[in-house]
Amino acid sequence: MTREEAFRLMHAYVDGELDPAKTLELEAHLAENPSARVACERLRDLSVAIRAKADYHLAPAEFARRLSASVPAAPGDKPRRFAPPRWLPSVAALAGIALAVWIATALIMQFREDERLATEVLASHVRATLAGRSYDIASSDQHTVKPWLSARLAFSPPVADLSAQGFELDGGRLDYVGGQRVAVLAYKRRQHLIDVYLWPAGGKQENLALTRDGFNIERFEKSGMSFWLVSDLNRNELADLARLLAN
Amino acid sequence: MGPMDERRQRFERVVMPHLDAAYNLARWITRNDHDAQDVAQEAVLRAYRFFDGLRGGAKPWLLAIVRNSCLSWLQVNRPADLAGFDDRVAETLASEEDGPETQAMRACDRRMLNEAIAALPAQFREVLVLRELEDMSYKEIARVADVPIGTVMSRLARARRLLGESVRAVSNAAGHSVNR
Repeated sequence: MTREEAFRLMHAYVDGELDPAKTLELEAHLAENPSARVACERLRDLSVAIRAKADYHLAPAEFARRLSASVPAAPGDKPRRFAPPRWLPSVAALAGIALAVWIATALIMQFREDERLATEVLASHVRATLAGRSYDIASSDQHTVKPWLSARLAFSPPVADLSAQGFELDGGRLDYVGGQRVAVLAYKRRQHLIDVYLWPAGGKQENLALTRDGFNIERFEKSGMSFWLVSDLNRNELADLARLLAN
Repeated sequence: MGPMDERRQRFERVVMPHLDAAYNLARWITRNDHDAQDVAQEAVLRAYRFFDGLRGGAKPWLLAIVRNSCLSWLQVNRPADLAGFDDRVAETLASEEDGPETQAMRACDRRMLNEAIAALPAQFREVLVLRELEDMSYKEIARVADVPIGTVMSRLARARRLLGESVRAVSNAAGHSVNR
């Protein structure tokens, strides 16, 4: 390393900005050259002296306070930011109203749809009970009921054996609800008949529990199938069955 | 909480901690309290306006804005100080050796040193303040002063040499007057 280069790199060395390779080279040079060593020491002294003695002007407290207060109130605070056009609020309001109306309409439609289906499944259940025709296929064996239903429907309804939980499978039948052929599983608990209506769900549906004319109705959705339970069984036990079927 | 409040809070958290550094730089460049307050205030308000454009460290970013505000202020109020201040051309690297009497540095008093720094040309004073008082890296200083790192190095070397000479001259003069 030349003497000139050593003096040039000395500043970066003192400032800790010299790369390791050059640092080694420079240190070797300093070890052999007392005058360069002295110059390097002086640079350090100067740096130390400035840091120790030069004034660091702290922002006056009053200034900091005034500035802090003026930051949000600065005129032309956000010229680079998107300035909303004047008509935006009214358009937004109209859009908001339209959205609210749409949501309300959708909710009412859904409510009406639920009402209609509840009425239909209840009517179906009552008719079947009155006629004493609860099933087309009488079997307590799920492996008999399921294929029988599957063969007559465009879908394969899940059929669960819940006799261990106190719900005896009595049989299965077909019915017509909501404009389509649906599967009905007839369960029995004590002397109560429970009809479970099954069909592919049109979309995500909320769970539903209601009482109509002394009959309890439960609705839920599982694996893309809509389940409607109708029975004169008490609410809690019907809810138990719904939970069993849903799991 | 609105987006403005959020932005404001973020600004207070990210930028305002460097208010002292902003004021210190403005104070060293303008060399008086009153102007430093005006310049620093303008710079911080500008920083708030351009806050969305902040990338990387907040301190060099803010000081770069302060520095530009100082530049505008110098153009109007101290055009003579501008010589070389906004030079972006890399200067020839200083390799001059210091004179033999820099021992004076250890002995020099506070007032003398401050006056000597204040007397440096603005572009050298600036890098010296950023390096020694703000303890910034060459890279950060380059960002603030908008010059290549090589220029930071050469300006810093020159600043130190000029400062050493100045302190030496003053202490020699003082020494002579005592001897006389």
